[in-house]
Amino acid sequence: MTLVTAFLTWYERKIIARIQLRIGPLYAGGPGGILQPIADGVKLIFKEVMIPYKADKPLFLAIPLALVVMAALPFAVIPFGQNWVITNLDVGLVFVFAMISLFPMMILIFAWASNSKYPFLGGLRSLFQQVAYEIPMWISALSIVMLAGSLSLVDIVNAQARIWFIIPAFLSFIVFFISIMAELERLPFDLPTAEPELVAGWFTESSGAIFMLQFLALYMKMYLMSSLVTVLFLGGWWGPAFLPQPVWFMIKTLIVATFIIIPRAVFARIRVDMLIRIGWTRLLIVALANVFLTVLLITSGLTTTLGI
Amino acid sequence: MQIVIPPDLVFVLLAAVTLIAAVLALQAKELIYGAIALGISFIGIAGFFVFLDAPYLAMLQIAVYVGAVVVLILFTIMLVRREQSDELLDRPEGGQGAVGLWLAGLLAVAIAGVAALAGPNLPAAPPAGNLPVSSLGLVLAAEYPIPLVILALLISAALLGALVLAKVEK
Repeated sequence: MTLVTAFLTWYERKIIARIQLRIGPLYAGGPGGILQPIADGVKLIFKEVMIPYKADKPLFLAIPLALVVMAALPFAVIPFGQNWVITNLDVGLVFVFAMISLFPMMILIFAWASNSKYPFLGGLRSLFQQVAYEIPMWISALSIVMLAGSLSLVDIVNAQARIWFIIPAFLSFIVFFISIMAELERLPFDLPTAEPELVAGWFTESSGAIFMLQFLALYMKMYLMSSLVTVLFLGGWWGPAFLPQPVWFMIKTLIVATFIIIPRAVFARIRVDMLIRIGWTRLLIVALANVFLTVLLITSGLTTTLGI
Repeated sequence: MQIVIPPDLVFVLLAAVTLIAAVLALQAKELIYGAIALGISFIGIAGFFVFLDAPYLAMLQIAVYVGAVVVLILFTIMLVRREQSDELLDRPEGGQGAVGLWLAGLLAVAIAGVAALAGPNLPAAPPAGNLPVSSLGLVLAAEYPIPLVILALLISAALLGALVLAKVEK
């Protein structure tokens, strides 16, 4: 999983380079410089960890590790194939969301522990952004739970054997995708790490291995969100039988990750007031309307004719 | 070979973590540490819910209390300036601690008394094992529909009220 996450950083740099008519990382070895993340990792491990003056040392060192743990735990309930799941938790979806909801707290504590202005501002921005966009995310996932009739991720994928949920719940897919873009602090929602204003946002003061752990946690969270979109909307492991199930899952996850990455090279960053207005007055209302639509869909019997 | 962990040990460990974190939350010199200890205490309570075969409640405990309530507390602490944070912290005066201990003792005696009196008459414990989440939903929707609707109305009203309050006057 760590390797997949590291590969994602290389993949992102390549895609963005292609969009900007560059070549991207090339010289680290392997086809297309695919060993670049390993070189990056080795470099970051050997760098000195600098702890800012008057920083809160135990918290500063512990939070990056906790971030990685929080990002890795939800993979225990993500089904990669029919029998490729570590534990089929009855409340898998809520478990994933509960772990995700711990992120803003960790980030704010780390930002505070850095004892520096830019991380602190970035941490506050990250907090209100993630807390605000969690609500449309939960509500848009609610319609999926109603369609599947279960909170277990395995059951949700099993319910999509005939038709993927992206078709009956397209509105929900749009809301969920925008929300996870904001949750992941990807462009155009990367206010917490806005370079022109805040240097590097909440991880300005981190260096060396600390930075590597944070980067790993962020990309692991991106991978987690991509696989969550695959599970909830794109039918999880289902696909024509000529490829094994986990391969289908990986292909779909990679496509979702590509669509998460591309806006970084395409869109400009939005303003704070736009971010708040989109979250609370557009996404929330669309998500609530979508719940109503789903109830109509279920009670009208359309879902049974679709074969869900 | 499977290692069997006695459930009593799990209970004692969970209780120790929860209680120590709760005491730390009250005694922390730095308010931030207090908030973190409160979060750990909430996670300990979530552990109790898992222990009692209620994983759904446990997850919601983490998501709502640790993910939202502790975050709000942290947010409030951050908005207060750092030099003020020392003045906000006041130690309990001599009499208060003694009164607190007395009350806690009385509560313990009361609970023990009730348990001793009602112990034999208590209904048998429900069968162990993971109850599906849907049974919780069925109980809520079938047996308590009116409180559920009232709660939903209350939450919607709070949401609308927050939107109205946040709206900037033009």
